[in-house]
Amino acid sequence: MARFAEPMARLIEELRKLPGIGAKSAQRLAFHILRASAADAEALAGAVRELKAKLRLCSICNNITDVDPCGYCSNPMRNHRLVCVVEEPTNIATIEKTRSYNGVYHVLHGTLSPLNGVGPEHLRTASLAARVSGGEVDEVIIATSPTVEGEATADYLAGMLRGTAARIMRIATGVPAGSDIEYADEVTMTRALEGRRQMG
Amino acid sequence: MHEADLIVSLFTRDQGKVKGVAKAASKSRRRFGGALEPMTHVRASYAERPRQELARLDAFEIIHSPLSEPVDYGRATALAFYAEVLEETLQDHDPQDAVFRLLLAVVEQTQVNRFWMPVTYFSLWILRLNGWLPEMTRCALCGEPFGESPAYWHPLADTLHCATHRRDGSATLSPESIALAAAILRSPVAAFASGDWPRRRAADLRRYALRSLERHLERRLTTATALMKLGG
Repeated sequence: MARFAEPMARLIEELRKLPGIGAKSAQRLAFHILRASAADAEALAGAVRELKAKLRLCSICNNITDVDPCGYCSNPMRNHRLVCVVEEPTNIATIEKTRSYNGVYHVLHGTLSPLNGVGPEHLRTASLAARVSGGEVDEVIIATSPTVEGEATADYLAGMLRGTAARIMRIATGVPAGSDIEYADEVTMTRALEGRRQMG
Repeated sequence: MHEADLIVSLFTRDQGKVKGVAKAASKSRRRFGGALEPMTHVRASYAERPRQELARLDAFEIIHSPLSEPVDYGRATALAFYAEVLEETLQDHDPQDAVFRLLLAVVEQTQVNRFWMPVTYFSLWILRLNGWLPEMTRCALCGEPFGESPAYWHPLADTLHCATHRRDGSATLSPESIALAAAILRSPVAAFASGDWPRRRAADLRRYALRSLERHLERRLTTATALMKLGG
């Protein structure tokens, strides 16, 4: 690193801290920024500054937002009695892409992960319990991943919300659309069969 | 290595621990599906390359998945505990058939609301298979059998002592737990499957085994802490 001028070395060092960025990628990005116009470099720096200065968590659903409550929680057109629980804010975009969900969200910011030392106390579950026990929610859809950690989290949430008036639902799992069932593993196929639906 | 690649530890019967790269596994589930979940029993196809530390993982066929049965936080913690202990205790390319058989047996028994027994069984046996389990029936100093009296253990020592020779700050092992440990060490895990095993049963024995493991590994086990928080 010593062969670079100090500001360049510093930028490379900072870029290396980003996920998926190694030493070579960091150098490439740093030189790209060096060659870019001053306006572009300033726009990048400004965007990073603004990201940290303006973004926060929605006080209702924990989604990342620049206004509180977030766009979903403050939208009167959405069904506020239907709450979909997701692991991360990025999961919201995946569900929104379907255009078939009009409820609101609750972001846990993780899943129960014993290997990573993440227990129930580390997830944002207390605010979910408060939302649901307030009686303003008819249905909770738990949309955590169908992994061991996601299933453990779903089970924990279902137990936590048991006794409230809300209906607790789990998203279905099964064979992905457009795939061939020949390549489905036994667990996926079992769940697809369990979740079969009547036609006609 | 790319960002979407995963480094996976396989515990194989023939070759012991093998570390490999599952290409693009964190981005696409097409090739590996749910086979990369901890404690999944698979038939693995992989290639080890000369002068390469990591094998190339090609395909996994699931023999048994932990997702075949319901999962709760307790069961997930127990499965993660097995994974963490094996990762810490096994050496690369050192086959351990007894440990492999132990693992298959305890994973099968690890079910929702029924995980304290296999966790206790695994902890005790993994200590024994690593040669870390001391004599559990008599005082290490005077040789007096514990009989109906409790045994004492210190967090900084391997051995068990009688009341006379215990060190300050020792914890106790009840006579029931000592008898249970002896039964565990001479019976298959399935022998304990039918009995009731609430969280409090043999909690002192489990605490002893977990602390003993951590002392030998010279580190805190994240999952042991999680088990303790669950009341273990």
